[in-house]
Amino acid sequence: MQVQYKPRRGWLGTIFQSEILQGMGLTLRRLFSRPITRQYPDERPQIRVGFRGQHALVRDPATGDCKCVGCMRCAMACPSRCIRIRSHKDKAPGSRRVIDSYRIEALRCVYCGFCQEVCPVNAIVLTEVFEYSRLERSSLHFTKEQLLANWDQFAAQLNMSDGYVNPCWRPRGLAERDLPAPKRLPVPPEWSGGEQVVGRQWRQHLPPEQS
Amino acid sequence: MDILLLLVWIVILFIVVMLHVAYATYFERKIIGHMQVRLGPMRVGWHGLLQPIADGIKSFFKEDIIPENADRPIFLAAPIICLAAMLTSLAVLPFAKGWVLADIDIGLLFIFAMSSLASYGVVLAGWSSNSKYSFLGGMRSMAQVISYEISMGLSLVGVMLLSGSLNLSAIVEAQGDRFLGMYILPQCIGFFVFFVSMLAETNRVPFDLPEAETELVSGYCTEYSGMRYAIFFMAEYIGMMVMASIATICFLGGWHGPFPVPFFPPLWFVLKVYLFMFVFIWLRATLPRYRYDQLMGLGWKVLIPLALVNIVLTACLKAVFTLGG
Repeated sequence: MQVQYKPRRGWLGTIFQSEILQGMGLTLRRLFSRPITRQYPDERPQIRVGFRGQHALVRDPATGDCKCVGCMRCAMACPSRCIRIRSHKDKAPGSRRVIDSYRIEALRCVYCGFCQEVCPVNAIVLTEVFEYSRLERSSLHFTKEQLLANWDQFAAQLNMSDGYVNPCWRPRGLAERDLPAPKRLPVPPEWSGGEQVVGRQWRQHLPPEQS
Repeated sequence: MDILLLLVWIVILFIVVMLHVAYATYFERKIIGHMQVRLGPMRVGWHGLLQPIADGIKSFFKEDIIPENADRPIFLAAPIICLAAMLTSLAVLPFAKGWVLADIDIGLLFIFAMSSLASYGVVLAGWSSNSKYSFLGGMRSMAQVISYEISMGLSLVGVMLLSGSLNLSAIVEAQGDRFLGMYILPQCIGFFVFFVSMLAETNRVPFDLPEAETELVSGYCTEYSGMRYAIFFMAEYIGMMVMASIATICFLGGWHGPFPVPFFPPLWFVLKVYLFMFVFIWLRATLPRYRYDQLMGLGWKVLIPLALVNIVLTACLKAVFTLGG
């Protein structure tokens, strides 16, 4: 790598402080540029594909309970160890594993989304809800019932609970045959296709009033 | 009767200046916000126009904390010294022809005296708070004031030589109402020195070492809260305005403009003062803070020699021209 030094400033530059004037020119130009502030409660942010927000357990419309099978993969993948699962299995052959409790400490979560990526049955989801601040700590330690209620709220607001696909359920960069059957889901092309929005395109991709 | 009239004028000036101070903070926040591609205050009133009033009410009703080990009488007196000294120097400023409270013959000297008295407030605040940060802020302020007061005084000697007076109205009259009569042209070195020391004298960026919030929490006003803190703030903004007025009077021809304004004679004066205020804010949005030794080096090694050279040059040229012409 070649280091590019600026040329030494001459005596004229020293007398007239040309660098300070350059800097002042920059700030003056910025004075007339459009501010990027978003007036939040009045002006809602646009939620992008793959946003990771409040935790929820998907309610299975067939059983009315969560889809979780108690495989513990999410708890193992979680870097902040905020998922606690207790489950048991009846002695009778062929019986399903029953989830006794499923707790997520949302305050410890780092929103990496690994849990929903590894989940083989798409039971856990990080929804697009981002306004869920509470006044007490304990109400952010989600239990299984609360997580299911989170899903109900999200699904009601989404109005398409049966057709919902969270793009994080299908990890990027894996071939179709490497995925377990429930994770072979159709995802929008801007999530993993050629139109994937990364880096600089992130801002340019938006409509002008949102950028 | 005269005294009564004078009192009325004083009250009017006080109210106008206080409103000006309130809205100067708004002006500063808005301009710096836009320079940093933000919006600045937007919530209180239309585009945040009532924000200064909300701030004033807030700081008035906040709890007034006095540290247990502070030197109480000095702690209480320091902000008042600051504000009183700054407000007193308003008395000699001529806003327009005849619009001056005290038309005294040593106006310029009076302003110098008052602005150094105001920095006593800062030094005492730093001393009496009995806190390390405040103490360091106070010490820095003292050193800064001592070195920059000299160059500031010397830079205006050229103006005094040219106009032959210390009376501020007389200085403005001596410049006449022509554009070329403004002292910024013959006194460009003096103006440069004055401008830099003006920034240092009012503790503004890039010379805001006494209250450098990144190193000293809030410098000399760390231990102050509520209304007392607001008083320091007001003193700083009045100081900015006084210094901008002095620069306008001494270098930009005071209230003279391209054409006289019929109903509001100080219009040109106000516009020029606001130009300086804008430059203050613009510099704050642009420049980082000086290091302490750089500050001292700039003051003693650059500005004072420059000011001395300016005095000698001005005196020689004036002698040559008066002898020749």
